[in-house]
Amino acid sequence: MNAIPQRTLNILLADDDIDDCLFFRGAIEKSPVRTTLTIVHDGKKLMQLLTTEDYILPAVLFLDLNMPRQNGFECLSEIKLHARLRQIPVIMFSTSNELAVVDRLFSNGAHYFIRKPSIFSQFEEIILQTLLLINKESVLQPSREDFVLMHSSASI
Amino acid sequence: MDIVKSDELIEANIKLAFQHVEKEKRAAELIIANKELIFQNGEKEKRAQELSIANEELLFQNKEKEKRAAELSIANKELLFQNGEKEKRAAELSIANKELAFQNDEKEKRAAELIVANKELALQNIEKEKRAQELIIANKELAFQNEEKEKRAEEKEKRAAELIIANKELAFQNEEKEKRAAELIIANKELAFQNEEKEKRAAELIIANKELAFQNEEKEKRAAELIIANKELLAFTYISSHDLQEPLRKIQTFVTVILDSEDDNLSDNGKYYFQRMQLAAGRMQQLIEDLLAFSRISTTDHKFEETNMHTIADEIKTDLKDTIQEKQAVIETHNLGIANIIPFQFRQLLYNLISNALKFSVPGTPARILLSSEIVNGSKINNEKLSREKSYCHITIKDNGIGFEPEFSERIFEVFQKLHGKEVYAGTGIGLAIVKKIVENHNGFISATSELNQGATFDIYIPAN
Repeated sequence: MNAIPQRTLNILLADDDIDDCLFFRGAIEKSPVRTTLTIVHDGKKLMQLLTTEDYILPAVLFLDLNMPRQNGFECLSEIKLHARLRQIPVIMFSTSNELAVVDRLFSNGAHYFIRKPSIFSQFEEIILQTLLLINKESVLQPSREDFVLMHSSASI
Repeated sequence: MDIVKSDELIEANIKLAFQHVEKEKRAAELIIANKELIFQNGEKEKRAQELSIANEELLFQNKEKEKRAAELSIANKELLFQNGEKEKRAAELSIANKELAFQNDEKEKRAAELIVANKELALQNIEKEKRAQELIIANKELAFQNEEKEKRAEEKEKRAAELIIANKELAFQNEEKEKRAAELIIANKELAFQNEEKEKRAAELIIANKELAFQNEEKEKRAAELIIANKELLAFTYISSHDLQEPLRKIQTFVTVILDSEDDNLSDNGKYYFQRMQLAAGRMQQLIEDLLAFSRISTTDHKFEETNMHTIADEIKTDLKDTIQEKQAVIETHNLGIANIIPFQFRQLLYNLISNALKFSVPGTPARILLSSEIVNGSKINNEKLSREKSYCHITIKDNGIGFEPEFSERIFEVFQKLHGKEVYAGTGIGLAIVKKIVENHNGFISATSELNQGATFDIYIPAN
């Protein structure tokens, strides 16, 4: 288990759902890792933000799949086109964990996949797990077996 | 001189006297002989009379014989004339037979034309092939019957030749020859009638073909409409299940947030109500997931692969290891080999059946589940849904759980059918409906056998190749 970092983690969340943003913020606040959180509610706004000159890139991007105007798939593909943005660890968020979708996200270069849990404590646990994982010098895409993050009492 | 000559004369007179006596003897003998002759002549005259009577008799008989000879020659002329007539009739019959043979050729050509027309129809429509094949069989029937007709015509030609030979044999066979000629006439009438019937049938077949072509068009239209409607329905089911999960998850998460953060502010009742909400939401989630699985089973591609069922069973045992431990269950496999199946669907099938077996185990009794398979021939299984000619992979899942009453053995496969309330046993009532759908996707058949408290056995038959 990695040591709890001292620096502040810069987190960017792209999700149009108000409740999911609320849960995320609640989970972040509970975690021992110090963080700052920026939220955008649609894909187009996300890309605009990321491609703004001098914008300080986040340490990690949590990307929801279902967003209006530009969805998570499209954002992921566009991010991978930019040399500057390519290294940002992208964590995909979704309600469903359909195999075809997960495979496609893995091959498109996302770092991890999280299925939004329906129990809040699990939500907290998984966010913390993620933050500890990406808190390294360079975050590489894991193997396909490790791509999907799960809380400790989850089953397939 | 004279003494000697007188002695000689006396001797001669003695000799003469002797000769006279002799002559008188002979004359008497002659008289007797003449009487004898006269008697014999009388006899001869009698006989001569008799002979002349006999001759007259003979003359008369000769005249009779001449009469009869004259009659016989007349009769022979008559016979010769009749033979001439019969040869004419035999010649006419052979002409009639040639006519029939020609007509048979014509009908064969028409039957052949019919066969060609039917084959063209079969090519145009895949659905019509079955009926077109039936038509081909009917036409073969027609061709076969025409062959039969040819055989009968040949036989009749043979009979006509026999008639000509019989005529040459003359007198005794006249009656039989007339009988045979009469039989020929009847047989020819029969043939003519049958040919009429065949022409009628050929005309009916043409009409039936047109009707079939029209019906097939209608069916194709309806089939296309059904396919579109089906696709729309499944897409709708998929999308609505997906979209329903979203707000449900929110409800569940907020309940957990409330229970976590408002623990001090909630009464015991309040907490209890929220817990009931959680359970209800959890059931709804399970229901939606099962509905999604059900619709996915119907929509995704069915790719068959040679798969080791034993491997799948082992994977499921790993997935369910917590429950297996909890129920102290033993899952045995026997002869689970390689089968031609859709892997991910078969996995779902085994998973559902095994988790059911675990769920419905007798409390306190370690669950025992047996999975086995064998290859059987369709003829050995007494089931009208299975073909007698095919061989099937017969998979059995047997448990020692609480079982069910035999009257429910078919209902349990229906969607949303449960045999227990939700408080007793959790479940959506879709699991077995999914299992049945998967078996149908494999072109197979499933049945369940059980008695209350005596465990349950599920028998699955899927085609072996």
